[in-house]
Amino acid sequence: MEINPAFNQYMDRYFEFAGHWDSPSKCGLLVVQRKDGKVLAIATEIYRQNPGTPVTEWCAPLATQIMKSLACAPEKFIFVEHTPDLKSKLAFYEETFDLLDFDWNGESFANPRWTRLSSEQVIQMMGE
Amino acid sequence: MKFKLIYPRWEKLDDQTIFNLPPHGPVVMAAEIPKDIEIDFTDENVETLIIDETPDLVGISMMLTTQVKRGWAIADMYRKMGKKVIFGGISTMLHAEETLLHADSIFLGEVEGRLEQVFADFRANNLKKVYNFLTTPPDMALVGSARRDILKKDLYYHKGYRMVDLFHASRGCRFDCYPCAVRYLGGRGFRPRPIDKVVEELSQMDNNRLFIVDNSLAMDNKWEKDLFRAMIPLKKKWVSHTIEDKDDVLDLAAQAGAWYVYQAIFDTSDYIRDRIKRYHDHGIGVEGTILLGMDNQTEDDIRRLIDFLLEIDLDLAEFTVLVPFPHTKAHSDLLKQNRIFDTNWDNYNAGKVVYQPKHMSPEKLTELYHYAWDTFYKDEPQTQKMFNLLDKVMQREVADGTFTPRRRELRRQSFGKKVE
Repeated sequence: MEINPAFNQYMDRYFEFAGHWDSPSKCGLLVVQRKDGKVLAIATEIYRQNPGTPVTEWCAPLATQIMKSLACAPEKFIFVEHTPDLKSKLAFYEETFDLLDFDWNGESFANPRWTRLSSEQVIQMMGE
Repeated sequence: MKFKLIYPRWEKLDDQTIFNLPPHGPVVMAAEIPKDIEIDFTDENVETLIIDETPDLVGISMMLTTQVKRGWAIADMYRKMGKKVIFGGISTMLHAEETLLHADSIFLGEVEGRLEQVFADFRANNLKKVYNFLTTPPDMALVGSARRDILKKDLYYHKGYRMVDLFHASRGCRFDCYPCAVRYLGGRGFRPRPIDKVVEELSQMDNNRLFIVDNSLAMDNKWEKDLFRAMIPLKKKWVSHTIEDKDDVLDLAAQAGAWYVYQAIFDTSDYIRDRIKRYHDHGIGVEGTILLGMDNQTEDDIRRLIDFLLEIDLDLAEFTVLVPFPHTKAHSDLLKQNRIFDTNWDNYNAGKVVYQPKHMSPEKLTELYHYAWDTFYKDEPQTQKMFNLLDKVMQREVADGTFTPRRRELRRQSFGKKVE
């Protein structure tokens, strides 16, 4: 599937996952191998192009799945949620970025906590 | 085999009408239950639930988030008695993981073509913990007539006046609105029922007044017009959500018996003003549904909106505060911002504030919510405005010969209880 041009600044591929009750789901994904050895993954909510569970609702298992697919260690993994600007008149479809903190239980991430980021902060994180 | 089907009670909003409509989910589900099974249905909103040893299997059907805690409590009581309990319905899907803690089985998704197997599994003592059909909706041609014979019909009268019966002509929704969970509930696409099936069910219904509960009728222009044309000879009178804003569609809707619509009023624009006028020009009443507490609303915005409602001659208005129901974008956004402070599902009734609004305190939003109800109905109470709408539909029914008089023997009863 072609990537929606409105979303593509922070994604270079689609990532498929099984969401709530195994519903086939999809998000955008951009992975940045940082100079400091950490891996930054930006998961983009693609709204109507996602047939299943939104990124926020499934962030802990999704982050776990992405991290494992990258063969990355949890302490070196940084996960950011991105909702793209839909150019809507409705304020809740503006662009947002959130950095996720999780607890690691040895197998998977749990207990998500979100911290809002500016786009400048995200660009800076990508360059580190 | 006896199947006890229960629709749990919930607490109504302070300002809402006392009316109880016959529930829709249980009668749609009942249509798919094998015919050799005896169904004993209890709607706890209009009758007392008697918990006894007689059922072989207990089913709990939940539509609202405010029903789930009561549903779970009922299940816990039956399970203590050794009875198996299966849950279904919209709120079971919204609260599936929590509901599993109180259930022998949960059914997710739509029932058509699926319940024969569920009951066979029960009889074989092999009831599955989860029946998950969330992502595989059935062929809409399988959706037959709901089994309204399970309802105790006399319980849905208020002083001799019969409540509307609920009916659906389609499922799903092509929109994905901020506070709505239809997307998660299998509604990503609009799925109309075949019109001949719709007409067949409507023809079987003995109630002339209906509430067509489809998410919106404004989904597919051709289907909508075909539906209305097919409904004209039936002479039903009905309430619905939005109808497409085109003269030819509104004209057909009026001919098909459109009585009044629920129309979201989200700003004070000329578009909204004209939209309401066009409904009225076609003889269709409007109940505005007004959601308070969105992030783009300040206190001044809400006060201006209420003034606007009084200007545009709405027939009725229903005010609610934003509720971050699970599986909505509203929930995701507020969760991320750590703004949800109340997770007691009993309070998710659209009248209580369970999150931190952006531009005011929860207390201020609560105050504005009550101000909205009080101000809108200050000069003419809600009961009078409802009677005005009832009067209009009765006049139309008298004119086309479909009027059924009030049942005088029930004039001192309201939903099964005695009143003066």
